[in-house]
Amino acid sequence: MLQSEREKMMTMQPHQTAYVQRCTFTRSGATTFLGHLDLMTCFERAARRAELPILYSQGYNPRPMMVFALPLGVGIETTSDYLDVSLNRPYDPEKFVSEMNTFLPLGLRILSSKAIPEPKESIMSIVTTAFYRFEAKGIREAMKKAFDQESLMVTKIAKGKEKQTDIRPLLLSLSQAPSDDPDTVDFYACAGSEKNVRPDLLLQSLTRYCGMNEEVAENTRVVRMGLFSGEYPRIIPISEVKVRPVEAKPAEKTETASGENTENASGENTENEGR
Amino acid sequence: MKTRPVPLSKSDLMKVESPARYVGGEFNAVIKEEMLEELEKTGKTSYLRFAFCFPDIYEIGMSNLALQILYHVLNDDPHIGCERAFSPWMDMDALLREKNIALYSQETKTPLCDFDVLGFTLGYEMCYTNVLQMMDLGKIPLLSKDRGEEDPLICCGGPCAYNIEPMADFFDIAMMGEGEEMILEMCEKIREYKLSKETDHPISRAQLLKNLDAIEGLYIPSLYEVTYRKKDEVKAGEPYGALLHPLSGDVKTTIKKRIIKDLDTCSYPTAPVVSNLRVVHDRSYLEVFRGCIRGCRFCQAGFIYRPVREKSVEVLCEQGRLLEKNTGYDEMGLLSLATSDYTHFPELAENLLSTFEGHHTSLSLPSLRLDSFSLDLMEKVQSTRKSGLTFAPEAGTQRLRDVINKNIKEEDIFSALRLAFMGGWSTVKLYFMLGLPTETDEDVLGIADLAKRIEKLYFDIGRETGRKMRRLDITVSTSLFIPKPFTPFQWEKQDVKEELIRKQRLLKDNLRSRNIRYAWHDFDSSVWEVVLARGDRRLSPVLLEGYKSGLYFDAWDDHFQYGKWLEILEKHGLSIEDFSREFSEDEALPWDHISVGVNKKFLLSERHQAYSETTTPSCREHCSGCGAASFGVGECFSKRNAMKENKEVLENAAE
Repeated sequence: MLQSEREKMMTMQPHQTAYVQRCTFTRSGATTFLGHLDLMTCFERAARRAELPILYSQGYNPRPMMVFALPLGVGIETTSDYLDVSLNRPYDPEKFVSEMNTFLPLGLRILSSKAIPEPKESIMSIVTTAFYRFEAKGIREAMKKAFDQESLMVTKIAKGKEKQTDIRPLLLSLSQAPSDDPDTVDFYACAGSEKNVRPDLLLQSLTRYCGMNEEVAENTRVVRMGLFSGEYPRIIPISEVKVRPVEAKPAEKTETASGENTENASGENTENEGR
Repeated sequence: MKTRPVPLSKSDLMKVESPARYVGGEFNAVIKEEMLEELEKTGKTSYLRFAFCFPDIYEIGMSNLALQILYHVLNDDPHIGCERAFSPWMDMDALLREKNIALYSQETKTPLCDFDVLGFTLGYEMCYTNVLQMMDLGKIPLLSKDRGEEDPLICCGGPCAYNIEPMADFFDIAMMGEGEEMILEMCEKIREYKLSKETDHPISRAQLLKNLDAIEGLYIPSLYEVTYRKKDEVKAGEPYGALLHPLSGDVKTTIKKRIIKDLDTCSYPTAPVVSNLRVVHDRSYLEVFRGCIRGCRFCQAGFIYRPVREKSVEVLCEQGRLLEKNTGYDEMGLLSLATSDYTHFPELAENLLSTFEGHHTSLSLPSLRLDSFSLDLMEKVQSTRKSGLTFAPEAGTQRLRDVINKNIKEEDIFSALRLAFMGGWSTVKLYFMLGLPTETDEDVLGIADLAKRIEKLYFDIGRETGRKMRRLDITVSTSLFIPKPFTPFQWEKQDVKEELIRKQRLLKDNLRSRNIRYAWHDFDSSVWEVVLARGDRRLSPVLLEGYKSGLYFDAWDDHFQYGKWLEILEKHGLSIEDFSREFSEDEALPWDHISVGVNKKFLLSERHQAYSETTTPSCREHCSGCGAASFGVGECFSKRNAMKENKEVLENAAE
C-alpha cells in the first residue's frame, strides 16, 4: 500500500460513538514526581495492560482518548482529580475501576468512575476552582497574610521570558478547618484554562510577602483535594456536574461519505473530524 | 507492597532534573517482601542482596535489555533479591555528596554498600568512571584490594567485560558471555559465603574467589598479575607484550565465555519493569536471535556473540503477545544484530502484526539489512508516518567494503532505494566509517560519490514518473574506525587525529549539495575509546585519578574532557600511541587469556583476507571454521553436522 492510500484509510474512519468513563483518581508516593505528560502515559499504559476497549484518536498518530481535567504539576499530590477515558463500548464503571487499579503503578489509584455520554463540553473547560491543602511549618499564618494582601505579584517564566502577574485576585477563600493545626491550611483558588493559580507560584509569593522561609516553602506538601465547576462560591465537584451530551453527528452525512465519491468524501472527513 | 521513603527531602528532589528518576515505584518492579520482613525483625537476611547497577542515567539504563533479563533471572530465584541502581546525574551527584547520603537502590532505597553483590553491565567503555562514581557514592571502597569481608563483591558483564583489564583493579569478578546461567551459579557461591559467616566455619573472601574461579566463564582479575615487555626488552623468540601470570597453580589460564545453548527454553523477561518516566527507547523488546551470520571485520558484536542461535517463531510470538500485554507499550522492537537475517522473519513479522491488529501497537525494526530490504514489510509495520530509511554501507567503495567484509553490493543499494523512492520515501540516512584499514582518498571520495548518485536517482525517478517529489533529505554520517578486541582488526592502528581531520575535510568539501547534510563524530572521544577498548591494567590508576578529578559521564560529549585525560595518562608514563598503535601479530595482547570461541588463528587469517580484499561468506552460506562451533550449538554447527563435510574445519574448531 502506498503512503497516500494509507493516509486515506486513516482519515476515512467514520466517527465512533464514545462511551466515556469519568473517573476520580488520586496520586501519592513515587508518582508525585512525574510531569503531566509522563502521568498521562502511565494511565494510557495501564489501560492498555488492562486490555480495556479504549477509543483512539484519529489521524496519523492515534492516541488513547483520555482527557485530564487539569494538569498536575511535578510534586503535587491529589486526593481527587478527574479524568475522562473514552471507550468504544459501554462498560461497567466498577469493573473499569478494578481493572485499572490492577494495572496502575503504585501511587496512582482510581477511586470511582461514572459512565457518562460523550460530553459536549470537554472536562478541561468546565474546571473553575481547585481546593488545595498545604502542609508546612507555620503555613496557616503565612496564608492568612497572603489573603490580607491587596496584591501578590509573582514572576512567571513562560517561553523563556519572565512575566509579572498578580495572583491575589485568583485566591478565593481560606478554609477555617483544620484551625487547630498551624502547619496545615486548606483554601480555594481559581483553576482551569483561563484563570489558574499554580501552587509553586503561590509558595513563591509566600516567601516574598508573607515572611515564609524559602526552604520551608520548597518542602511544603501540596495536595489537591478537589476540583470544581461553576462560579465560586456556587461550585460543584466535577464528578457531580451534569453532563450535556454532544449532539449526535448527522448520520446521513457519514453515509454519503462512504458512498459514491470516495475521494471527495475523504477530503471532507479530514476537515471535519481530523483532530 | 511496602514502599520505603527516599532518603531526601521533597525540596531536594524538586531541585534536581527529572526527580522521578530517583524514586522507583515502577510497574513490574520486584520487591521481596519476605526479605524485608526478615530485615525488619533481625536486621539480617538470608537472601542474597544483588544490586544491578547501570553506569549511566536512568533513562538510558531502563532501555537496556541486559538489565531486564538479569533482573528477572535473579528475582526468579527464591533466595535472591535483586534491585536496580543507576548513575545519578551531576545535580543529584552533588546533592548526595553535600548531604552525605549514600547512593541507594530504586526498590527499597537501600544504600549500595548494604548489598552483598553489585553487578555492573558495561555496554560501552566511556562509562568506566561512572562505575567508580556509583561505587564511591554507594560508600564502597573502589579498589578490590581495599575491600574486606564485609564489603560487597563487585562484578561486571557485557561486551566490555571481554577486555576488562583497564578496570582490573576495581572489579572482583568479570562474567564472560551470556549471563543467565552463570550469574545464578555465581550467586549461589556468594550466598554460601554469606551464610557461612553465621557458622563456625566461615569461608574467607580469598577462598570465595577461588571457588568462583572454578565456575566456567568467571574471570577473577586479582588471581593474576601482568607484566609488560616491549619487543626490544626480551630476547629474540621470547614472548613479549602484555604477559599474564596466574598467581597460583590452581587458577585457570583460559577463561572461556558462556553461552545459552537453547534460547527457546531460556527465561526471557516478558514482564519487564516499565518506567513511569519516558525513557530513551520507550518500547518493549523482543530478542529474536543471538549472534550474527555476517562477520564484518570491524564489528566486535559480530564475533563475540557467535555462534548464531535463533528462537523459534512459536516462542517469539508467545513472548511478543505477553510483552505487549504485560507492559502496555505501544511499540515493540525486534532485537538482534541483523533482524532480517532471522530465518523466519516474514512469518514472525506477519504473525506479530496480526496479534497487534487493532491495538495500535507498532513494530520497530532496527538493523534491517539493506540487501534483504523489503519495502512491503516496511509499509506494513509502519502504522504511522514514514520515518527515514537508514543504511550502513560503512565504506564508500566496493574495494573497501570487500576489505571490511561488508557484503553489500551497490546494485542492491540502488534497487532498494529505487523501490523506496517510488513508494514515497524521501529521507535517507547513510552511515560510514572513516579511518578503516587500507583506506585511501579514493575511498573517502567514494562516500560523496555514492551520496550524489543517490540524489540523482531520486530526481531521475521524479522525471521518469512525472510525479511531484517531496524535498529530498540525505544525511551522511561518519564515525571513526575503532579497532576492537576479538575482531580481525584488533591489531590495526587508529589513524592519527590530523589524518582523520584531513579525510573529514576532504569529504565535507565534496558533499556540497542542498539535499545532503553531513554529520560527523567527535575525534577525541573516539581516540579515548580506543585507549579503553584496547587498554590494559596500567590504565586502572589512570582511571582512578581521572575519576577523583571529576572525570565521569565521559559518554556525554559535554562532560568528556579529553585534555584532562591526556594529561593524567601522560603523568602515568603512558601515551595514546601505546594503545592506538598497530599491535604486532606475535605480541601477547592484554585479552589473550579470554576465549570468545572464535580463535586467534581465525581472526588473523581474516585480517590477511582483508588485506587481499577477499570476502568471507556468511555463516549461513558456508562455515569458515572460526571456532565458535566448539560450543556444540548454533546454526553453523547444525549445518555442518548435517552436511558432514569439511572435517578438517571441524577439527580446527575443536581446538
